[in-house]
Amino acid sequence: MTMDPRLQAWLDGDIELEALPETLRDEAAAWSELLTEARSDGVSGAPLGATSRVMDAIRADASRGPVARLRTGLGWLLRPRPMRVSPIAAAAAIALVAWSVTQLALSQPGVGSVDDRVYVQFVISAPDARTVALAGDFNEWDPSIQLADPDGDGLWSGRVALEPGVHEYMFVIDGSEWRPDPNAISYTDDGFGQRNSVLAVTPVNET
Amino acid sequence: MDRRDLGSRSDVGEERESDAELVARAMAGSDAAFSVLVDRYNDLLYRHAERMLGQADDAEDVVQSAWIKAFRNLGKCRDPERFGAWVFRIGANACKDAVKAKRRENVPLDSVAELESGDGDTAIRVDQRRRLASALVRLPADQREAFLLKHLEGWSYEEMADQLGVRVSALKMRVHRAREELQIFLLEVPR
Repeated sequence: MTMDPRLQAWLDGDIELEALPETLRDEAAAWSELLTEARSDGVSGAPLGATSRVMDAIRADASRGPVARLRTGLGWLLRPRPMRVSPIAAAAAIALVAWSVTQLALSQPGVGSVDDRVYVQFVISAPDARTVALAGDFNEWDPSIQLADPDGDGLWSGRVALEPGVHEYMFVIDGSEWRPDPNAISYTDDGFGQRNSVLAVTPVNET
Repeated sequence: MDRRDLGSRSDVGEERESDAELVARAMAGSDAAFSVLVDRYNDLLYRHAERMLGQADDAEDVVQSAWIKAFRNLGKCRDPERFGAWVFRIGANACKDAVKAKRRENVPLDSVAELESGDGDTAIRVDQRRRLASALVRLPADQREAFLLKHLEGWSYEEMADQLGVRVSALKMRVHRAREELQIFLLEVPR
């Protein structure tokens, strides 16, 4: 169910209540009441003694040593557990394994790859930047891919392996300034007043 | 909660160790120093976890795991002055993982605990809160997190982006979608 964008804007704090038309006032009042109720949910913080229980757990964990911790971690992988899998999914999984084994047997070293990702070189000129990162739909918009400027000429670059398809991305300058790629082939409105850069990646064997 | 709660505390007129000092002492082996950090941020983590998970018991387990992880990885806290933000992100991720695990295990969503009621509550208000809690646990973890931080914790989008490392536009989208889901619930609530 879509919601009137003006109501969304009011709830975001972007516009005043008076800016809403009369037809939306009842809905706004209901939201206001709901949120007030939600905030009085009795959730106030950690219960009494929580800090000492946390510290006891930390000491117990530390006393177990790294081997015991590793065993606990591996235990999740080693512990048998029931799985509910539909017959179709099971058949598909078996077919996938069989296909992968066949492909592996047929392949020659250095020829072809099961990974069809394509390396893409990203470059942006940002002479005043201290750091430049890349974020896009391929990494959940997490600016974790750091670009490098090894010779200090202000040109930041980095190579990223991407799946074929259309991707949206932006550069993040100094950890806070989101900047579209001035050399992108096209741009798309992200719906909030900013433009995402658009990149089309084609499979290597189609180029 | 505002961003000041997540940064280093240095109250004027009060002798109070900064987060960076406490982190340094904890890394040198002081349990007492880490205990002060737990005491300082446990309320924030716990409150978020209880709202994310809908169960106080689950919240305590998740928060405890988050603190253990923080203790083990203290050396990776690159900016100890902002220890609060760092540990909050660990806690928030632990909550999202727990939400996803619950979904995988098919835990009945209606098992969410009824949130505490005050003395002056009418039956309608209690029912409204119970239904809201039920509606919240049905939201995807990312939407629930964004909605709770925006509307129950009172963060701005910029604060959320800073603490969670997610773009403002993406956070707005999550909150908007959460509202659209909850709107269905809202329209059903007796007024």
